[in-house]
Amino acid sequence: MKKVTRRDFLKLAGVLASASVINVDLFAEAFRKEKNALETSVEYFKSTCKMCVNFCGINVKTENGVLRAIYPDEARRDYYNIGNCPKGISGIWNTYNPYRVKVPLKRRNPNKGINEDPQWEEISWEEALKEVAGRIAQIKSDDPRKIIWYHGHGKYLLHDGWMKAFASAIGTPNVVHRTTVCEGAKHVADEITWGYHEFLPDLEYTNYLKNMGGNYAEADQWARWLDHATLDAKERGMKLVVVEPRLSNIGAKADEWVPIRPGKDVLFLLAMARVLIDEGYIDKNFLITYTNAPYLIKGDGTLAKDNSGNPLVWDIDINGPVPYDNATNIALEGSFNDTVYANGEVKTAFQVFKDYLTTENISPEAVAEECGLSAEQIRRIAIEFGQSASIGSTINLDGKTLRYRPVAIYTFRGLVAKEYGTQTWRAGLIVMMLVGALDAVGGVLLHEPGKSSEYMNPSSCEYPPSRIDLKKSAFFPHATHDVAQQALFTVPEPSKYGINYTPEMQIFFATNRPFSTSKAELQLEGLKNTYNVAIEISMSETAWFADIVLPDKTYLEAYGYYGGRWVPHARHHTLHYPIVNTYNIPYQNIEILVELAKRAGFLTGSGGFLDKINAEYKFSNPNLDINKTDYTAEQLMDVLWRNKTGQSIDEGKKKGFGGEKFVTVDERYLKGVEAKFKGAGKAKIHFYCDELVGTKNVLLTKLNNVKEVFKEWYEVTDGELNSLIETKLSPLPRKDHAYPVSYRKSTNYPYYLITFKRMYRNQSGYCNINPVLNQVAHDADTNHIWINPETANALSIKDGDAVIIESRVGELEGIAKLTEGIRPDTVAVSYHYGQWSGGYPDWAKKGTWINKILEYHPDMLSGMNSFNDTKVIIRKKQGGEE
Amino acid sequence: MRLGRFIDTERCIGCRACVAACMNENFYIPGNPWIFVIEEEIGKFPYVKRRFVPMNCMHCDEPACKKACDYVGAFAISKNEQGVVIIDYEKCMGCRYCVTSCPYGVLQYIEELNTLFSEKTPYDEIPYENRHPVHRKKINTVEKCTFCWHRIEKAVKDGKTSEIGVNPEYTPACDIVCPVGARVFGDLDDPNSEVSKRILSKSAKRIKKHFGTKPKIYYTIVEGGE
Repeated sequence: MKKVTRRDFLKLAGVLASASVINVDLFAEAFRKEKNALETSVEYFKSTCKMCVNFCGINVKTENGVLRAIYPDEARRDYYNIGNCPKGISGIWNTYNPYRVKVPLKRRNPNKGINEDPQWEEISWEEALKEVAGRIAQIKSDDPRKIIWYHGHGKYLLHDGWMKAFASAIGTPNVVHRTTVCEGAKHVADEITWGYHEFLPDLEYTNYLKNMGGNYAEADQWARWLDHATLDAKERGMKLVVVEPRLSNIGAKADEWVPIRPGKDVLFLLAMARVLIDEGYIDKNFLITYTNAPYLIKGDGTLAKDNSGNPLVWDIDINGPVPYDNATNIALEGSFNDTVYANGEVKTAFQVFKDYLTTENISPEAVAEECGLSAEQIRRIAIEFGQSASIGSTINLDGKTLRYRPVAIYTFRGLVAKEYGTQTWRAGLIVMMLVGALDAVGGVLLHEPGKSSEYMNPSSCEYPPSRIDLKKSAFFPHATHDVAQQALFTVPEPSKYGINYTPEMQIFFATNRPFSTSKAELQLEGLKNTYNVAIEISMSETAWFADIVLPDKTYLEAYGYYGGRWVPHARHHTLHYPIVNTYNIPYQNIEILVELAKRAGFLTGSGGFLDKINAEYKFSNPNLDINKTDYTAEQLMDVLWRNKTGQSIDEGKKKGFGGEKFVTVDERYLKGVEAKFKGAGKAKIHFYCDELVGTKNVLLTKLNNVKEVFKEWYEVTDGELNSLIETKLSPLPRKDHAYPVSYRKSTNYPYYLITFKRMYRNQSGYCNINPVLNQVAHDADTNHIWINPETANALSIKDGDAVIIESRVGELEGIAKLTEGIRPDTVAVSYHYGQWSGGYPDWAKKGTWINKILEYHPDMLSGMNSFNDTKVIIRKKQGGEE
Repeated sequence: MRLGRFIDTERCIGCRACVAACMNENFYIPGNPWIFVIEEEIGKFPYVKRRFVPMNCMHCDEPACKKACDYVGAFAISKNEQGVVIIDYEKCMGCRYCVTSCPYGVLQYIEELNTLFSEKTPYDEIPYENRHPVHRKKINTVEKCTFCWHRIEKAVKDGKTSEIGVNPEYTPACDIVCPVGARVFGDLDDPNSEVSKRILSKSAKRIKKHFGTKPKIYYTIVEGGE
């Protein structure tokens, strides 16, 4: 054979350019001649992906019963996803995976630790179920609160009603989900403001979208709708401004990236508010008609009320205070003296806010340096936002005249996973209230506003806490979502938190929670002295600390339900069901619960598991037979599916979704704040969260019970406690909220550390053992320490160097990635790498376990974990350094 | 018919769904992706952009790989009447001149027939005789993207070439999975095809056109093209 170099070849290219076109399909011909070709039976299954929490439609292809590929379900395009992400497509490889747990395992080594070999012994299902059920029965008869149930992703595999019913049948209040390690503070800000949670930009009409911390081109809830809908809106002409310290992949699509300093979003938003007020971009009608901005506030921060307890406003026509419902010409601004109801000096809530901005000198110029941005940029964005809001305009859709405010702010974990996450997002909501963008066409559409009005009341600050995660207690008064990261800190020392029982058993269903929160190693301490059970598909770090591991089926092998992600124009329910059973595992998750309940004696009868399921879901047509002892997952899911969609499970399996509908203009724009908050006789959106003042007053009466923990969490002295509570429970966001504990105390740690999600992982579970997810990108199997080249140069760090990253919690090693896509004073690390479980191969254990060195100062309001507040030192690893 | 693709880098979010779909579809051998995504960072902080450029075989009108292969006398690379360039593993000698001649660096030499896990899964056990010839991979040969010829070929057999790029069944897997609609596939000879229209409306360009191979994948906002 003649040697041909690339250069020779290119010289010859012209000579050889006459290559003939081959018209014969050689391969098809070869295939036809293949005498030994086997009959191939190809089938497609319309189902739902559960590789993350988007619940995308998938079309699963099998060949002769073998999983062959996963494609998007075309029928789901109109309702949610138009394609799939690499997690969804690679789901095959979590099902076909030799590193799965295939049989029940029992721990033989009583010592639990990262470096302890559990000495697993394979046992029969009967032995495993009998042992676990025996433990449950024993503790249940003693004190059922001592059993703690955890589900993270398990909630999304099945829907959490099943698990809540299981815990209720046991009698424990301790069911712990993961929201506070993702976006819990966002939910709580929404709830104390407008009575429920979740919102989406109305992207079909939005003209200006400011995204502050949503990472939805990578991995967020709603990512697979927000991504394509945002790009469609951009093509329509929408401006996308992304405010974040690290250039995320959605930031990469932005018209403008605004690299704000970590934790300073509240200053940016307050400065925006100042500009909007000063420049007159205020929707006075919205503020007066829908919010409590005109309510009169007394000097102590509480609402001024009449003798019947009705909130007062100042009526301009009579120049006096009247109950809101009786007023004819309501003042939005002003300071007054209420002599009628003896409330004394009062101001409208709007005036309180405006005065705060003025007296604290909050403006773009004043906050620019702290935000690490130019004043011109902040001011310009505020004015663009105000102008784009088209305040006062309406649009006619489907014969209805609707408020038209085509501006929106979106957020997620990046902004709220902080000590002041709730208050920071409150500032975002206030900015949108100022221009009237809530539930307006093109604005932000709220999910069932006013649904849970109790969220807008003061907390009772429960003490002693009933739950191990301290949810809704005096420690986290408005934590309406489970405080996932706190539970394992409480378990080893419950009395410290006023808990009057000692946990004995912890059950983890599809969650690797301890691995993926602040002070992660300390989290694991909470697993050492309890009897632990893990229901998992692989040997996670949490499972490594289990006494019994029960194998689960994957979503391609099992039934599962979840309400589909709602979008502005549509609703649906989602279903998945068994397509294969790779390792002949006899039970799926819900069936394990049934088997445990049966053996522990609480499956049937009044108050039993089945009865509790009926109650939890309010099943009506049909109900579960509470005396039936052999329900399968299919039968259980059939009852759920019929109640949710009116269809049988067999119908559901044909499409993988059901109960779908497109919402009308009426439902989309007139059933939310228009119905719940508009005008007289209705509650009002909380521009001013007076319930937090109420909560503060309750909490102060219980401060002695919680002060030692607060002193530890927030590093304050006794003398600083009252001021701390005042700041935490402020009815309006303040500039203090830009200064979390770690920023104030880590004076010798110059760099801000933020953490983020990547496309190739879902939290910290199971994706690391998926080989396709590890190989789809050159760096998908590991994480890096993102450092700006200017910073790296000053520290003599080169791309790919081993570096040491150190916080007040500890230090660890990582690999530097130099990128212009991060602020010079900030480093960023994705938080779901660095696994170490002995059940994983080496290729699944790469990267830096950054959660080990994250500081823990939870958001007092919501319980949100402080993922993005830590400060660190970075240095190049020296030769010989361990 | 001259099949080609439009990739809208203004829409691509760099998720690698296309890469994963290709891996499933085409019996991926670890280390030998048929698609990869180049991440490009442009500018200095704070004026910085990141761009994603998915790369795979360009199915050139005048493929350099084929010329190299013909020159060494293997004649393992053909271009069919749909414009799809395919390597015949039975004829490939493993000389790798095609690999060195490709301006796009998208051909992969098969050194070992490794699977994703050391232990074979039911997927790996799908017998060769049940696989399309483009998936009957051999050691010491070269592999690359086939535009999912096994799907295109089905359209040809079914007499539905007009549905290529429209019907998912007759469209490359990488194109149908894209979560943001950044990829469009179809007949470049048909001015009314979606791919032709998008190339025109977005003023899409081809990469490394100066090598003269006449590639058939068009991108938005990529400098250095035509």
